[in-house]
Amino acid sequence: MSNGKCGLFFETYRGEAQLLPSAFQKWSLGLFMVVLLGAPYMLDSYMVSVLNLVNIAVIGAVSLNLLTGYCGQISLGHGAFIGVGAYATAKFTALGVPFLLALPLGGAVAAVVGMIFGIPSLRLKGIYLAIATLAAQLILEYVFLHWESATGGSSGVAVDSPEIFGFIFDTDEKMFYLTLAVAVVAVLAVSNMVRTRQGRAFVAIRDYYLSAEIVGVNLFTTKLQAFGVSSFLAGVSGGLWAYYTMYITPEQFNIGLSISYLAMIIIGGMGSVQGAIFGAIFITLLPEFLNITASALGDIFPDVSTYLLAMKEGIFGLVLVLFLIFEPEGLAHRWRLVKAYWKLYPFAH
Amino acid sequence: MKRIITIIMAMAFMVAAVSASAAEIKIGVLSDLSGPTSAVGQPYAEGIKACAQYLNDNGGINGKQVKLLQVDYAYNVQQALAAYKRFKSQGMVALQGWGTADTEALTKFVARDKMPTWSASYSAHLTDPKVAPYNFFVAADYTTQMRAGLKYLKENWKEARAPKLAFIYPDHPYGLSPIKGGKEYAAEIGFEIVGEENVSLKAMDATTQLLALQKKAPDFCWIGGTTPSTSVILKDAKKLSMTTTFLINLWGNDESLIDLAGEAAKGQVGLQAAAVYNDDVPGAALIRERTGGQAVMSHYLRGFASTLVMAEAIKIADAAGNLNGKGIKEAAETLRDFDPMGLTPAISYFADDHRPNMSVNIYTIEGGKLVKTASPTLERKAEWLGH
Repeated sequence: MSNGKCGLFFETYRGEAQLLPSAFQKWSLGLFMVVLLGAPYMLDSYMVSVLNLVNIAVIGAVSLNLLTGYCGQISLGHGAFIGVGAYATAKFTALGVPFLLALPLGGAVAAVVGMIFGIPSLRLKGIYLAIATLAAQLILEYVFLHWESATGGSSGVAVDSPEIFGFIFDTDEKMFYLTLAVAVVAVLAVSNMVRTRQGRAFVAIRDYYLSAEIVGVNLFTTKLQAFGVSSFLAGVSGGLWAYYTMYITPEQFNIGLSISYLAMIIIGGMGSVQGAIFGAIFITLLPEFLNITASALGDIFPDVSTYLLAMKEGIFGLVLVLFLIFEPEGLAHRWRLVKAYWKLYPFAH
Repeated sequence: MKRIITIIMAMAFMVAAVSASAAEIKIGVLSDLSGPTSAVGQPYAEGIKACAQYLNDNGGINGKQVKLLQVDYAYNVQQALAAYKRFKSQGMVALQGWGTADTEALTKFVARDKMPTWSASYSAHLTDPKVAPYNFFVAADYTTQMRAGLKYLKENWKEARAPKLAFIYPDHPYGLSPIKGGKEYAAEIGFEIVGEENVSLKAMDATTQLLALQKKAPDFCWIGGTTPSTSVILKDAKKLSMTTTFLINLWGNDESLIDLAGEAAKGQVGLQAAAVYNDDVPGAALIRERTGGQAVMSHYLRGFASTLVMAEAIKIADAAGNLNGKGIKEAAETLRDFDPMGLTPAISYFADDHRPNMSVNIYTIEGGKLVKTASPTLERKAEWLGH
């Protein structure tokens, strides 16, 4: 730290509860945001499009981490809740609802659906709840495919670009600011929520439900709230995805999406907002990195690229396994270790 | 030190490779080489590559070399989207897409960016320029294929009574896509529809569904799956001694079905949108020559044909000095009965109708080979566009 102390020492509760306790953190975050805001001017549209995907993934991963990481409720249906948000937002947009209203309304529909499928969470825990949410995934996929009047069935639905007071977000650069703004709001909202009484109740349920109940946490309503808030944000992420791709089909919200969001929070770190962000960035960038490596190598060694391309999915899986073995607490934990290293440098202890 | 020199050398190679790109026509290729559709995605991608190589060996397009920018997107929409953006920033002028998921997710992007796209997703709604102005493909759409197949069956029906027809398809966007239009047409030309069942693309067994259908004794049954599920259905039908003739959709009917289903595939009617390796057409002869007799799947030939048609549109656009997305799209819309060396039925696109043709090739499996039996053609009815 800049003050040379070996750690942070608080003299007030308010001080301890701060989101960014040190001036260094405030400055570096501020600088990071400035760089991020300038990114579209410095990067080409491919890079900006990847950043858009990252922003959307961050919202989804943070929302899942709230439910799974903080409240301990495993969800294998998150991809479908994102889909509900996407379809609902698309429908509201088609009905002429403006973007600023359609996005939260899409989230609200997803929240309602998420809470309905969260009801079994009172009776089910762990792997059993995972299967119940998997059922939600399958049921919702069926609905996306067969409720033709609402979802367009197998043909999908087209969505217009978002518009706020006549300003149309029709390029990657414009969309970047929109997705970034929503992602920042979502991250702030979740960071704040986990510091409230409600957030501590989530953690209490995750750590031991009986103790939580004994200290007066209403298990059922608290779990439902976790499902509701998480699905709301998932719906918002889905809504943004729909606006960004401009065309949604049932195939986009399959079980693979749910699993990739779970992978994000596991790799990033369960129960950490920062971890969810790291995980979203990692999982979104890994295939891009592998693709770029493969095509760069392909220019030099044509045959290598063929094998490398075919191995790509395998490498992806291998990375996941290696993470679980060597970094089970995720990237957020590694980040803390790196920070501690520099804080204590040159003394290791 | 040694390592640093190696790294610098490698980087210099990359820079050299990137900078050697003058007078090139860059084509983006989205391939599934490792995802769920890779069994057919690989030969299709090989076909595209082989065609680009063939074009380059013969002077390129109007003297300009074709450069492919390929990505294995593993049938993941998000990766397809990112790859598309990357191709665009690298200067691609047209795209060779692949499956339903990515083609549909990109529909509005390619329209906005004016990026002509040839895909291997043959959903009917992509043929309507009002919905998908920059989408093209070289096969008749799924619904048209089914209609043509049904027309062929009806024309060869000898008995006085109406033939009984059933449908088996996966509950999946690809499986569902032709069912509605196909059913309407079947009823119109005098089939009696007796039943329908769902068999998943990953099914290991279809006995339950077939037993239900067997009671209704269909003369014909449509299968809208891929080769693994089709072979399961065919084998189970043989086990149950069903006498039904199966009409198999294009992705369920290729060379691998011969190995997967064996005897059960004999005599069934399969649809194809392109020629197969041993066909007597100039394109197949060319491919035989270039592959040195190493047989390739029909998907390879279709990938080849798709690239050939796209190259023709690019050639016209380039000759007119309009080598850009809009120019290529408009050039494609001037194609009239263009013959891609016999690899597919002749191709025409119109400004208000992107159906490439109204024909489908019918192949039966005889003696362990796909043998062409007919090529029924339908009338280009306006009310079928997009359905």
